[in-house]
Amino acid sequence: MSAGADSFVFQYLAPFVGVLLIAVGIAGAVPGGYALVEPDLENCGNPTIGVESPAETAERFGGDERPRLPRLAFADLSTAEQEGFRAAIADPVGEEQVVGSVPNADAFRRGAIVSYEGEEYYVTIVAENTCFAAAPLQFPLGVFAIALGFLGVLAPPLYRRLVRLEQRAGRSE
Amino acid sequence: MLNRAIVEGSALAVLALAVGLVWVRERRAARPESDGGYTTREEIEFEIGRVQSEVYRWLTTTDHRDIGLLYIFFGTAAGLWGGVDAMMLRTELLTPPADIWTPETYNALFTTHGLTMLIFFVLPVFFGIGNYVLPLLIGADDMAFPRVNAVGFWLLPPALILVRMGLLIQVLGQVLNLMLPAEAIRFFLTMREVSVGWTLYAPLSVQQPNPQIDLLLLGLHLSGIATTVGAINFITTVVYERGEGVTWANLDIFSWNMVVTSGIALFAFPLLGSALVMLLLDRNLGTAFFATEGGGAILWQHLFWFWGHPEVYILFLPATGLMSLILPKFVGRKLFGYQFIVYSTLGLGVLSFGVWAHHMFTTSADPRVKLSFMAVSIAIAVPSAIKVFNWITTMWEGDIRLTAPFILCAGGIGTFIVGGVTGVFLAVIPIDILYHGTYYVVGHFHLIVVGIIPFLMIAASYYWYPLITGRWYDTRLARFQSLLIVFGSFVTFMTLLVIGGLGLPRRQAIYPPEYQFAQQIATVGGYVIGLSALLWLYNMLVSYWRGTPVTTTDPWGLKATNQFTREWQWFERRMVEKYDVEPTEPETTRRSYAPEGEPTGLAGGVGTVAQTVSRNAWMAAAGGFVGTVLMSGGLGTAILIGVLDPVSFGEIAELVGLPASPALGAVLFLVGGTVTWPLLFLAFSEYLPGRLLFETGLVFATLISSGFAIAFYTGQSGLAFVGYLTFVVVSHWAYGIGLTVTFQYLKSDEALRNRGGSDG
Ligand code: HEM
Ligand SMILES: [Cu+2]
Repeated sequence: MSAGADSFVFQYLAPFVGVLLIAVGIAGAVPGGYALVEPDLENCGNPTIGVESPAETAERFGGDERPRLPRLAFADLSTAEQEGFRAAIADPVGEEQVVGSVPNADAFRRGAIVSYEGEEYYVTIVAENTCFAAAPLQFPLGVFAIALGFLGVLAPPLYRRLVRLEQRAGRSE
Repeated sequence: MLNRAIVEGSALAVLALAVGLVWVRERRAARPESDGGYTTREEIEFEIGRVQSEVYRWLTTTDHRDIGLLYIFFGTAAGLWGGVDAMMLRTELLTPPADIWTPETYNALFTTHGLTMLIFFVLPVFFGIGNYVLPLLIGADDMAFPRVNAVGFWLLPPALILVRMGLLIQVLGQVLNLMLPAEAIRFFLTMREVSVGWTLYAPLSVQQPNPQIDLLLLGLHLSGIATTVGAINFITTVVYERGEGVTWANLDIFSWNMVVTSGIALFAFPLLGSALVMLLLDRNLGTAFFATEGGGAILWQHLFWFWGHPEVYILFLPATGLMSLILPKFVGRKLFGYQFIVYSTLGLGVLSFGVWAHHMFTTSADPRVKLSFMAVSIAIAVPSAIKVFNWITTMWEGDIRLTAPFILCAGGIGTFIVGGVTGVFLAVIPIDILYHGTYYVVGHFHLIVVGIIPFLMIAASYYWYPLITGRWYDTRLARFQSLLIVFGSFVTFMTLLVIGGLGLPRRQAIYPPEYQFAQQIATVGGYVIGLSALLWLYNMLVSYWRGTPVTTTDPWGLKATNQFTREWQWFERRMVEKYDVEPTEPETTRRSYAPEGEPTGLAGGVGTVAQTVSRNAWMAAAGGFVGTVLMSGGLGTAILIGVLDPVSFGEIAELVGLPASPALGAVLFLVGGTVTWPLLFLAFSEYLPGRLLFETGLVFATLISSGFAIAFYTGQSGLAFVGYLTFVVVSHWAYGIGLTVTFQYLKSDEALRNRGGSDG
């Protein structure tokens, strides 16, 4: 290779800037892209409730000691809440997302006792599942940065190839 | 909220697929293709038979070099797995609320990340390096107990799977759930990754119902057995298998470190094993070791940290051993103060058992007891400082070769200085009470666990790549990768030090929005580390097939400085026997501790005056910028700790007639560091003492630090004054080294260019 075949700018600076661009691009594109697909992937904005079994509930509140918690009958719950409640009881971990309106959210947030088929269940919100918000440009710009970054990382071999090309061109003239 | 199991499972699958593809592609490209025709049936059968015999060989081998490689592959794979956890952690922290993963997922991530990295990444890789090179270094034929060695390794994969089964089962469960009703696969849906923190503190670890915790404890126990077995083997090998002429007094420094490390492991891991069994019994058989009625939750902490602190040194000592072994080779000087390094290693081995309670300063104990732990914890800084001092002295007057391993060594010393100094502060009870549980701690220990430890692993991988594979890696890519990982680590973990100093608690998925920008910087830095790890992996894989074959018996030119150590002598013998090459003889040799020392002739170069001036100016600016960034880390820490008053930065702004704002002052400071000081340095360096640029840089930095110390003094007294002076001087050193090393780096690059060679 001839004297000019190594360039600091192309050998080190360009790939360095490239890596930085990729890193920033990932940081932008991942949340940005996630914000775009989230509504299709799952129900955001609906809380997940955790329901403890009657036994656990009794243990938590120490038998006959009356906890000062809101008490709700199963019938007081909205349809969505009822579905979520039943699914949570069936769930091995005792958690289920409520899909639909949650009028009793405040009570659940503090923790409430729901009586259902003669048993008492302790119900709380275990995750709010708020929707993720990101600037609309974040995703496209992030992807762009990643692409540009790749170009930077690939700059040294590309550059060497170009130099070789020129040399060959010079020779054949 | 994204589904962790799916995301992590796919990320790992993509990574594995990419590695496989690169491997297969390069392998095909490397094979002489005959006619490019169709693959025949015989060819496929032959291929299958070959794979079978290869698999059989690797499963049954007892050769120390094979087992070493197995350990290294295993550790690397685990490191990548834990690294994916780290990237996911950092991704969550891009935004203040917990909106990418749930808080529970976040907890699981830092738990598994910590355990995987500490237990399944660092130790196996070091045991692997030890297995490969230690027998060569001491002239032994193999390890003392080759079969036990194989058993020790093969315990690790099941251990890792037990520990991380939660994720596998979750992925499986979610796949099955697409086809089967939830009832039938209840087990798969119940199990999840452990989220109680890698320290497994009682009572949470006793009470959480997740059955995966029990599997995790069993897995950890198994890995402890593997480690103990390996440690016994290392000790026996060094004691009984040393070759002729290898005595304790001239045993190489890496083997010394492996012996001490194994010694620590021998005392620490059985204890961890007992504690784990007690926890298992508490969880499953109703014993009360860690229940309030029994030993109490604090008992767990004592047992855990009595293992945990020595474990830190088990991870760290092999790295220092590699540093002491590799650094001299690239500065052409013998390791300075061999004896003191050995003593300091032994000292660390003993002291490491005496400081565990510094992890428990925030629990209640008699203040006098705590005080004694504080004293020992501060004292343990002395042996570590001896090592740093000896490394720096080794470089002094050295003939530095800016190869990738050297860059990693220098970077490792840098991160270790900052990581170590911040650790001394944590050893002081009142400071620990302030910073315990903040990101300051995370920054401190990551500067060591990401700074010096993997840096030296990578340095070793480059240094011995020709020895292991008979080929060269892509040196240009390696230098770039080294600089990148050093840069990324400084950015990430210095930022964490700062936000921790401001009081941000760690282990929280949710944080106040004020910290968002800093967290994003740390995350981008983290991604840079991740990308550079991928570049390393790519280099290793591709060079195995495509690297230039090594044609000399002395690839690093070590004979010229009398550093042709035993593992390379073994390499030479093998090259001579197998390939009939002539042993390489250097043109000149010199004693490794009396380097010729090139004349400094600082900028040198050819061209017109104007060209030289502009060229020097931009090189100086680049060096100055690197130096200033390094320096700001030190000064930032000083401000956090409260020994340097940021108001004094406002005064610089005032000096030049701007409003007295510290931010403005800091910008001015950065500009000055990039522009003014390097030029002054260029102008005066001819007149400063020190034969090599890097020494001159230190002298220069020390000189200007006195000016800085006077200018920024704001009436500190007593300890604060000492701290102030120390930080000022050390930060300036970082500046001086950053400036000159960058400068030399650019210059050597230019020299190479002028010589017209690619760097080979
Ligand atoms: C050799 C490599 C590494 C090791 C041995 C290591 C070790 C650890 C350990 C033990 C923890 C647990 C801390 C705790 O108890 O809260 C941890 C947490 C963490 N690590 Fe690493 N780590 C490594 C690499 C990385 C990298 C490359 C990154 C970032 C890119 C990273 C980011 C984090 C984060 C964000 C946490 C969580 C801190 C918290 O929860 O407060 N680690 N690491
Ligand atoms: Cu400790």
